[in-house]
Amino acid sequence: MPACARSRCCRWQPARSTTTLARRRPSRSAPLDAQARGWSLAAAGACLLPLLLQLPGTLALGLALAGSVATAASRRRPLPAALRLVLSLALVAVVLANARFAFGRDTGCALLAAMLALKPMELATLRDARSLLGFALFAPFATFLLDQGPLSLVLGLGAAVLVLAALLRLSEMESGEPEVLAPAPRLARVLRLVAIGLPLALAAFWLFPRMATPLWGVPERVIARPGLSDTMAPGEWLDLMNDDSVALRVAFDGPAPPTSEMYWRGPVLWNYDGREWTTSPWFRGLPAAPVTHGPRRYRYDLEVEATDRRQLVALELPTEVPDGAQASIDHMLRTERPLSATTRWRMTSAAPVAFEPDLRGTLRAAALRLPDGFNPRTIALARDWRAQAGSGNDAAIVERALAWIGAEFGYTLSTPLPGRHAVDEFLFDQKQGFCEHFSSAFVVLMRAAGVPARVVTGYAGGYRNPFGGYWIVRRSDAHAWAEVWLPGRGWVRVDPTAAVAPERIYDTLADRASGGPAGLRALAPMYDVGDWMRRGWNDLVLGFDAARQQRLLRPLGGGDLGSSQLVALFALIGGAALAAMLWLVARGERERDPVLRAWHRLGARYARLGLGRRPHETADAWSARVLALRPQSTALVALSARFAEWRYARGRGGDARTLVHDLRAHRP
Amino acid sequence: MAGLRARLEALARPRRPESFPVTFDRRRIYVLPTAFGAFFVALLVVMLLGALNYNNNPALLLALLLAGAGNTSLLVAHLQLSGLRIVAVEAEPVPAGTPLLLRVHARAEPGRTRRGLRVEAGDAQAVLSLRGGAGEARLALPTQRRGWLQPGRLRISTTRPLGLARAWAYAWPADDVLVYPRPETDDPPLPHGHGDNARARLQPTGDDVHHLRAYRRGDARRAIAWKPSARRDTLLVREYEQPQGADVVLDWLALAPLAYEDRIARLARWVDQAEREGRRWRLQLAQQPAIGPGRGAAHRHACLRALALLPLATGAEHNDLG
Repeated sequence: MPACARSRCCRWQPARSTTTLARRRPSRSAPLDAQARGWSLAAAGACLLPLLLQLPGTLALGLALAGSVATAASRRRPLPAALRLVLSLALVAVVLANARFAFGRDTGCALLAAMLALKPMELATLRDARSLLGFALFAPFATFLLDQGPLSLVLGLGAAVLVLAALLRLSEMESGEPEVLAPAPRLARVLRLVAIGLPLALAAFWLFPRMATPLWGVPERVIARPGLSDTMAPGEWLDLMNDDSVALRVAFDGPAPPTSEMYWRGPVLWNYDGREWTTSPWFRGLPAAPVTHGPRRYRYDLEVEATDRRQLVALELPTEVPDGAQASIDHMLRTERPLSATTRWRMTSAAPVAFEPDLRGTLRAAALRLPDGFNPRTIALARDWRAQAGSGNDAAIVERALAWIGAEFGYTLSTPLPGRHAVDEFLFDQKQGFCEHFSSAFVVLMRAAGVPARVVTGYAGGYRNPFGGYWIVRRSDAHAWAEVWLPGRGWVRVDPTAAVAPERIYDTLADRASGGPAGLRALAPMYDVGDWMRRGWNDLVLGFDAARQQRLLRPLGGGDLGSSQLVALFALIGGAALAAMLWLVARGERERDPVLRAWHRLGARYARLGLGRRPHETADAWSARVLALRPQSTALVALSARFAEWRYARGRGGDARTLVHDLRAHRP
Repeated sequence: MAGLRARLEALARPRRPESFPVTFDRRRIYVLPTAFGAFFVALLVVMLLGALNYNNNPALLLALLLAGAGNTSLLVAHLQLSGLRIVAVEAEPVPAGTPLLLRVHARAEPGRTRRGLRVEAGDAQAVLSLRGGAGEARLALPTQRRGWLQPGRLRISTTRPLGLARAWAYAWPADDVLVYPRPETDDPPLPHGHGDNARARLQPTGDDVHHLRAYRRGDARRAIAWKPSARRDTLLVREYEQPQGADVVLDWLALAPLAYEDRIARLARWVDQAEREGRRWRLQLAQQPAIGPGRGAAHRHACLRALALLPLATGAEHNDLG
């Protein structure tokens, strides 16, 4: 062999030409195989499902249909770009038209759903599949912004797991491995990944700094969910009265008030235009009126389900305004931002003894104002009553009205649409209606008789869940009653509906179920347990906010932690978790046998002197070589011999422990 | 971009060729997010911000679960390579111009599944899957010139399990693989043999055909007996009487009129031809002891190796060596 044969000049490396650099990763644009395509579509569909469930039914159905047709049509080859564009624009137009071009959170989510439904049209390559899956992950996120119920949660998290499984398949395809896993082991592998990441995720969940105030506003839904509003027109609450979902959950510290005293006071309505009652924006800025509370105080935690509105209710009457809410002059609570998620409020209430005993002139005028030209028969009757009672005997007029209503009126949810003189029709013709009719007519009657009065809306009653010992107030418990101002006592609650149908107001689930089929009654305990679990979930996860986080950390850190300290704590714990993972990783590589480990370390110490053991050298050959170069290394020769004995003639090298100790102790 | 990439690669271990086997440990395994991984991270950041802003705990939980799974996938990607041993790299020599099949042998403790690892050298790629703790990847390296071929740094990488991150490690075999010279494409006739049996040297155009046999790959086109082939409807080759003791001398100096590389190509061709015809031959290169005479695979390899390792000519030296 020529001398230069192995020299550098004769070697060459495979050329990396620039033309081939362009196709360095040809696999990224590789066409999808049937498996990968199936997984990607299934995962995207699973992501879309919970979002569709939150959209209006016809729109959801239309989107699902359009999506499946477009996907099926582009199965063999992608549709032409122009057609895709037209389809997308058409679908966007349909969604916007469906929302009447009002832009809110639900419209945005519907648009996202539309885009996601059409995205599989261009599913051809690995890259397309990944962008589809990344995009699809936004769908569960959007779903949670609309709804945090258990169904959405289960479907959303399940869909995320499916997305991960699809990613796993894509990565397998990319690596060129021909073997394909069955669905069950694939899901098992994904779940294992999630499970390993779970401790870190949970630590982050509890410790991640929460923002007490949002960075940007929360867009509201265009179509709000039923809940209390600032207006009330008799007859329009029917969908609210039929909605059996939970509005409030209340846990009392100590005994609860009797059901007949559970008036959850919400918006106070002053203005009447002949048809509709509204709150008075003029009074919102005024400071709360003075109240003397009674001696019996109730402390409770109020958990309010999302309504997307700002009206907050409280047991009559709260002694102080909770943080994040404001009270107007009539002690109506409004929150600083919409209740778009489940929120918890800590409150104390006590029944009022004297509520604004001195009524200002302007307020008095507002509480007596009636629109001109409405309800002449009612006004005539009220003037008649006033004339009979004489001035200054307001309480007698109230009594008389209640007696009349209790004697002659009936409760029903089926009422005809009111005409122009709604109160006249109700009081003199129909004599049947529900809380809105009663309270509205009563207040008109009082005002006409010269008694200051206003309508109050909120919830009445509640049902005690025996499992959690807390109270449930449903949306169907929405109620309207009246407050009249009496000299010396101030505002006094009067509930004309209670004079007619008290059972309707203070009912319990058992009362209601007794009217229904027997099967419903048997289901009641299951419902109780379900709601109790739901409340636990709310308590543990949904209602976990900045304040709760502080409360959780208080026993650990003493005082309140600032958000920078929280970040530091989170970084500390997260870092520790990561370090533990890395340690486990490094540990896996470690030599298991302690003797070998010590032997290798010894070799590493000599390697620092340039006398490391070469891979092909035996222990004896190495120690002999070292001895030749370093005459003082006689101890190494003996150690090497012992090591060789131990390693290759087990049992004759002496105790492994002492050998390890000696190997470790030896220094070159 | 390419320059930056090269500079980054120069920072990665190993920085010079090393003797095998090598074991991948955390000091030489690198993990970086893929483009999709970066997109995934951006997605999670948007989700986290949205969830925190709206104080939406389910959304936060979703984002954190995904982040946790993504983080675990980094570790799993690392573990795919960690503990992997590249035992050896070897290849059968091939003539220049034909792809060289580089076999990369890997071993690992059998406990962990390591499937679908990608092995790259330059533009060549192959899949490495370990079954029962052992696996082999076959890379087709393009060859252009004779001589030692340094396969360069092999990159063993994986984007498993989720495609979010690529974990990779380099192995740089110190052993080069040999590429034989490209043989001449025409069939130059073998030079006349020397020795006692020189007169028995067969004449390809003569009549003393011993017998006909079926065509085998690599037979000279000239040896095909076209007329009998047409009659029997299959390719037949004339087999000549084996010349006993007629050593062929393949002499570098005798090819003086040819250019330097052409001489090597001609000699390479002759070596193959002589081997195929079962002749004994001796290769006489300039300023080197003669190889042979001999025959058989080992002799052929020795001759081709000597030819492959002839110094590469640079302009002026062309004929000086001859």
